[in-house]
Amino acid sequence: MAVFISRRLIFLVFVMFGVSFIIFGLQMTFSPERRAMVFVTTPQQAKDIPVLIKKYGFDQPFYKQYFTWLKEVTSGHLGYSLVASDSVWRAFWRYFPITLELNIFSSPCIILFGIWLGTKAGQKANTFTDHFTRIFSIVGWSLPTFLFSLVMLMIFYGYFRLFPPSVLGDELTLLVYGNTGEFVRYTGMFTVDGILNGRLDVTFEALKHLVMPVLTQMVVICAILMRVMRSGMLEEMGKDYVITARAKGVDKKTTILKHARRNALIPVITVAGQLVAALMEGSIAVEIIFNRKGLGWWLAESAMQLDMPVLMSLCLFIAIVFVLANLTVDIIYAYVDPRIRLS
Amino acid sequence: MSALIEIKDLVTNFYTYEGVVKALNKISLEVESGLTFGLVGESGCGKSVLVRSIMRIVQSPGVIEGGEVKFHMKKNGKDEVIELLSLSEEEMRQIRGSEISMIFQEPNAALNPILSIGYQVSESFLFHISEQMCAKVLEDLESPRDNTNFIWKSFLRYAYRVGSKDAKALPLRIFNKIPILKCWDKRLKEEATRRSIEIIDKLHVPHPEQVVKSYPHNLSGGMKQRIVIAIALACNPELLIADEATSNLDVTVQAQILELLNELKKEYISSIMLITHDLGVVAETCERVGVMYAGNLCEVADVREIFKNPKHPYTKALLNSVPRFSTEGRLAVIDGFVPNLVNPPSGCRFHPRCPLTMEQCKQNVPDLKETGDRHLVACYAVD
Amino acid sequence: MLENHPRLKELRYTLFRIFRNPSAIIGVILLLFFISVAVFAPYIAPPKYPNRPYMMPRAGYTITPKPPDEKNIFGTTEGQYDIFYGVVWGTRTAFRVGLSVIISAVIIGVFLGTVAGYFGGKVDEIIMRCVDVVFAIPFLVLAMAIVVSLGRGLDVIIIAIAAVAWRTYPRVIRSAILSVREQDFVQAAKSMGVSDFRIMIRHIIPNSIYPVMVIAFMEAGSVVLTAAFMSFLGLGAPKGYADWGQMVALARNYIVGPPDDPLKFWYCIIVPGGAIVLFVLAWSLIGDALRDAFDPKIRRK
Repeated sequence: MAVFISRRLIFLVFVMFGVSFIIFGLQMTFSPERRAMVFVTTPQQAKDIPVLIKKYGFDQPFYKQYFTWLKEVTSGHLGYSLVASDSVWRAFWRYFPITLELNIFSSPCIILFGIWLGTKAGQKANTFTDHFTRIFSIVGWSLPTFLFSLVMLMIFYGYFRLFPPSVLGDELTLLVYGNTGEFVRYTGMFTVDGILNGRLDVTFEALKHLVMPVLTQMVVICAILMRVMRSGMLEEMGKDYVITARAKGVDKKTTILKHARRNALIPVITVAGQLVAALMEGSIAVEIIFNRKGLGWWLAESAMQLDMPVLMSLCLFIAIVFVLANLTVDIIYAYVDPRIRLS
Repeated sequence: MSALIEIKDLVTNFYTYEGVVKALNKISLEVESGLTFGLVGESGCGKSVLVRSIMRIVQSPGVIEGGEVKFHMKKNGKDEVIELLSLSEEEMRQIRGSEISMIFQEPNAALNPILSIGYQVSESFLFHISEQMCAKVLEDLESPRDNTNFIWKSFLRYAYRVGSKDAKALPLRIFNKIPILKCWDKRLKEEATRRSIEIIDKLHVPHPEQVVKSYPHNLSGGMKQRIVIAIALACNPELLIADEATSNLDVTVQAQILELLNELKKEYISSIMLITHDLGVVAETCERVGVMYAGNLCEVADVREIFKNPKHPYTKALLNSVPRFSTEGRLAVIDGFVPNLVNPPSGCRFHPRCPLTMEQCKQNVPDLKETGDRHLVACYAVD
Repeated sequence: MLENHPRLKELRYTLFRIFRNPSAIIGVILLLFFISVAVFAPYIAPPKYPNRPYMMPRAGYTITPKPPDEKNIFGTTEGQYDIFYGVVWGTRTAFRVGLSVIISAVIIGVFLGTVAGYFGGKVDEIIMRCVDVVFAIPFLVLAMAIVVSLGRGLDVIIIAIAAVAWRTYPRVIRSAILSVREQDFVQAAKSMGVSDFRIMIRHIIPNSIYPVMVIAFMEAGSVVLTAAFMSFLGLGAPKGYADWGQMVALARNYIVGPPDDPLKFWYCIIVPGGAIVLFVLAWSLIGDALRDAFDPKIRRK
């Protein structure tokens, strides 16, 4: 077990090196002048560009710059984000809870619904449920998230006047971010903070704003999970041990749930782990269109402005999340499948 | 001797891309109770489909299309005849495992890899004799040695009293949905596990207490097959069907398992139906033999009769193709190929390979006819 | 003799399986429809400026979209760009993006995967670890960063997506190759002294290409989605270019109409949006049918 985990951690370090290398390489395609421009805010400073280049070492060879950067990061300086106009570290804790909150609500919905529907579809091929879920999954796969989000907004916000976008309404936003000390942001997740501050109206409002993003993610992402579950179930239903179970007189429900589904869940665990990990980086389209400023929004904004410190730090964060997710998946695997011993 | 199973005109087809595979072509067969009946034939001749049709566990795209299967069940000392194909799925479920049970070809695949052995064996008990076990648990609860706390005990007493009458009664189904109360069946499961250990022990598996806690991948092939047999025997079935139960095992293990089946036959089960392509196994263990070819039954007779006096040309050819130490020279083979069951030959399905083909063999399908001394043959050339 | 060649027989069976599946038929019909729209675009929507056919003509210079009428049968979007014209010529853009990305990604991916799987050892290790690293970066973020560093534009989007999308294929083809490599016919060819290159081309790739095909079809749709989203964010072609993603972006300010008629501007999002969905759906339906047809687990039942 210890060997297993340490091997994973070594792999993590390797991946982080590779990732930072690629992203660092991307910014090297810019001329030193253009990169120095980032620090220029007034026309007068424009003549300082050569000074800035010297100061930040933009004219040095790639490996030297890389090592300078590496030294900075390992000593804990992640840099300054222009997009957030704050240090990367502080800005991260501002954006991350928004993404986390959405995921806390959407991932269980996605996983449970996906597994449930996949089980229903996979019990018998070519039944009505099977066809329905197949169509649902293909359409879900083909729906562009940004377009679907827009249509959701059009219908639920525009037509029915329900479920507004963004994180909170204007009034409450003022309250929450105001410095009056009336509302303490313990976690940054307003559904939780509302309860902790005894302001259930904030919680309720936050939940109302969560409905549409959660629904959107469910429809779009469930499709993948359901598909894996369905094919797993179809395969399991033909296995000898399922026939054995039937031959010893086990009823249909137990045959499906205990004998077939538990086996079919094994590949689903991997996919679910990857999906949840991918959600952690923030669903870019959902966050942009529903105007929720979380990690996804920050990443997209930084990529468009080439805010390098942010891209670097977040990509490293994502690499960590992925490796941790894989580790969790492996541990769950060993729990579900007695044949696997971690080694 | 009284009949145990009477099959009449059983037809099972598989609907595949290549066309309709006519796997069983109006099979009629009678298996007497108290015997070991051997069913032999080449691979793909429909042996497995026949027994799976009896148990109604044919997998899609297979469909049982006609015929009847009468099963003589001894209930409370009375003989009751049941037509299996017309039962509801739930009634059939109750028969499976408790009256007719089955051992499969591949012990590795027949056990669920992620469920413990104990659970898999105890399932047989839980789905057939829950009531009986509830009564037993109730008895234990009443005994003075039991020291559960009073409230929980009276709850359990109520639950098991209901359970001993009907294990699927409404109150119990409600309990199953409520978090703490759903633990009522813990003792039932313990009782089932206790019985599992007992039955595994009877099959000469060493350390049964540890075996029930292990998983299939911890056991050897022979052990697994014993577990599969334990599952099948759990509820003392009238008929045990062994579908190539020994084909995939080592020769030594094979001998042990056959020995075990023989032994069990004396003590627990009234009849065994043994499916195999190994004539040696048949000669050793069976009392009566049926020979199948391409979805048809060609010959049924007592085992000595079959080996001494085979009448159907296919049986003769089959017996000739067994290697023997006493004879030298080339091994006899049957000319031609196993027919494609999508477009089977007209008339007798063996006629293209038969040395005695006559004109009527090409047009008509011969029926099984009694030719004396409990010997049935389906061939026009035998009269 | 040729009639019964096993590969031909297998192909015929595969085609049968594909076309027994109604979703494949719908997918093929949709795809044929889009192909003909793309091919006959100059006749369906004659360009206003023949030398710049991809620029959408404008029906005026007011900003607010106008509903469908005889002149603009799907209406006009923000800035009076004709939606019908944009959707028709946008089909060509979608094909250009989808096909060029998938073809280049498959070529790169299959090449690397084949090399890794066939030679094994150090080569395998290096290639697969690179794939791991690229996998660790979110697809969209990497693609966006590449676009920004190379300068915006449709061609840059194609390059950027291809530069990330190849990462799926090496793993797939490598695992397929590892199982094929050990099979007897490859060993036989090897023992007869057939060269590595020939073995790869003749034996290994044809036997492991199916999973790649399935994924390529499924991905072709999602590539178009990614490109559309990047155009939507303003990383793509210049304003006025016939591109579905950009048309959705133009509609973005009009998803909610005036209070008395909240769905007033439905056409400027539903029409180009519907085109994207149907286009992607066509590829996914075919990909899905292919997956079912090639899946050995359910194939021979």
